[in-house]
Amino acid sequence: MGILRRRRATSDGPVPADRSIVTIADAPPRRNVRVCGQVTRMRARPTSGLPALAVSISDDSGTAIAVWTGRRAIGGVALGRRLVIEGVATRRGDQLEFMNPEYTLLVR
Amino acid sequence: MKVVIAGAGSVGRYMADQLHASGHEVTLVDQTPAVFDRFGSEGPVTWFLGDACEVATLDAVSVADADVLAAVTGDDEDNLVIALLAKQEFGVPRVVARVNNPKNEWMFNEMWGVDVAVSTPHLLTAVVEEAVNVGSFVRLLSLEGGDARLAEVTLTEKSPAIGSAIADLGLPRESTVVALIRDRHVVVPRGDTVLRPNDEVLVLVTGDAEDDVRRVLVG
Amino acid sequence: MHVIVVGCGRVGSTVANELVARDHDVVVIDRRREAFRRLGSRFTGTTMTGVGFDRDVLTRARITDQSAVMAVTSGDNSNILIARVARETFGVERVVARIYDPKRAVIYERLGIPTVASVSWTSARALRHVLPDPGHSDWIDPTSTYALVERKVQAATAGVSVGRLDEAGLRVVLLTRTGAARLPDRALLVQQDDLIHLLVRADATADVDRALVEVGANR
Repeated sequence: MGILRRRRATSDGPVPADRSIVTIADAPPRRNVRVCGQVTRMRARPTSGLPALAVSISDDSGTAIAVWTGRRAIGGVALGRRLVIEGVATRRGDQLEFMNPEYTLLVR
Repeated sequence: MKVVIAGAGSVGRYMADQLHASGHEVTLVDQTPAVFDRFGSEGPVTWFLGDACEVATLDAVSVADADVLAAVTGDDEDNLVIALLAKQEFGVPRVVARVNNPKNEWMFNEMWGVDVAVSTPHLLTAVVEEAVNVGSFVRLLSLEGGDARLAEVTLTEKSPAIGSAIADLGLPRESTVVALIRDRHVVVPRGDTVLRPNDEVLVLVTGDAEDDVRRVLVG
Repeated sequence: MHVIVVGCGRVGSTVANELVARDHDVVVIDRRREAFRRLGSRFTGTTMTGVGFDRDVLTRARITDQSAVMAVTSGDNSNILIARVARETFGVERVVARIYDPKRAVIYERLGIPTVASVSWTSARALRHVLPDPGHSDWIDPTSTYALVERKVQAATAGVSVGRLDEAGLRVVLLTRTGAARLPDRALLVQQDDLIHLLVRADATADVDRALVEVGANR
């Protein structure tokens, strides 16, 4: 058989229970965090002619922004989509901004 | 402030000394043992031998707590990667990066996590232009990933702005006069400050307002 | 297909020759002219001296969004710059970067750039990222009933659940996301750029791509 490479594989539900999710208001900047929310805004944010996608994600406590550089769209990421964002955020003004975070699509 | 400087060449070492003298907590990172051996044991600045393009190195020097990271190696590729890691993986609030080859300047912006790009050739040219081109609009520095630019104009007698108060100039909304240098003194500009020939006007411009500002100050 | 190979070391020259043998239009870029000697006399593509992330060089190499780009220099940082410029400035979708530092690989995968670790590098694996080969199976069972195929999830299929794919005859047995492999739950939604290993009927391998698009459309 075997072209399947032997790798450490884990079984995964839609939201892994062991890595805890915090509310956006409680999420500390500069540390790896996971937040969960809904896409409330999508904006193109080009820099010097190069595309970037800025997505606002809101939960009951507040809104954070996830920016994906070099992209105009990400499949499945649209207004109303619920998703989990994981990464390290910078504080920009009074908002948290994630740069190219990991994301997990959840059922709408 | 906690500052991490990647690249201990003459630029990095100079920055480290200056910042340390100003009371900041500075760490210098370089991967060349020879540089470390020659300079490392002198002076109070903390040194770290390692490759700043590796997350493990940035972790070891606590970039996660740094207020500023300056990527000032002599290699543009390294500077871009270090900047990206600093911004994306460590959330550093202010990332400064050095541009060695002006051909690469177009990449030094938020696409690579760079807040402020400093291009030595560009700055040198601007400084020369400033001396040579009295009356022209010289761009000094780009901030905020290129969206904000600090520019300078020395007004000649022919400038349409001469004799007008700053508030009456009709400068576009996306610009502001930051300072005037007059007779070698810095003048804090107010709305009623009247412009005179030989005033060196420093303007901060965002967006597309540069052409309008040029028209108002130069003609 | 028009393929640009940046880096003419042992890996780059091998891949370039393999591409020429398969009748593709190949341009090899390297900073040093001497490197092209590795290509040998059978190489019928074009060579170009220059820096692989220089936009002018890539333009001269006739890059378009239909090209494929393989960043296989000896430097991780160069490879990432090349891959990003190809993707973001020129809209190239078929890009692969060779990476030595596995920790950096994860970060770059998040930028949407497929990487192949140098330790597990084979030309075959790398070429699969850039050359479409819809009929290829990684494995077929001894009775020739089922085949294992690998696909990269496109935007059209993003958001579809593993369970829904199963119902459509596309059983996801392994899902690799940003470099980490997992056995997916039926409820997991596949995402753009996920690598999925699908178990499908052996006589249906040619229809896999169409089926993936259809499931996406009829979710």
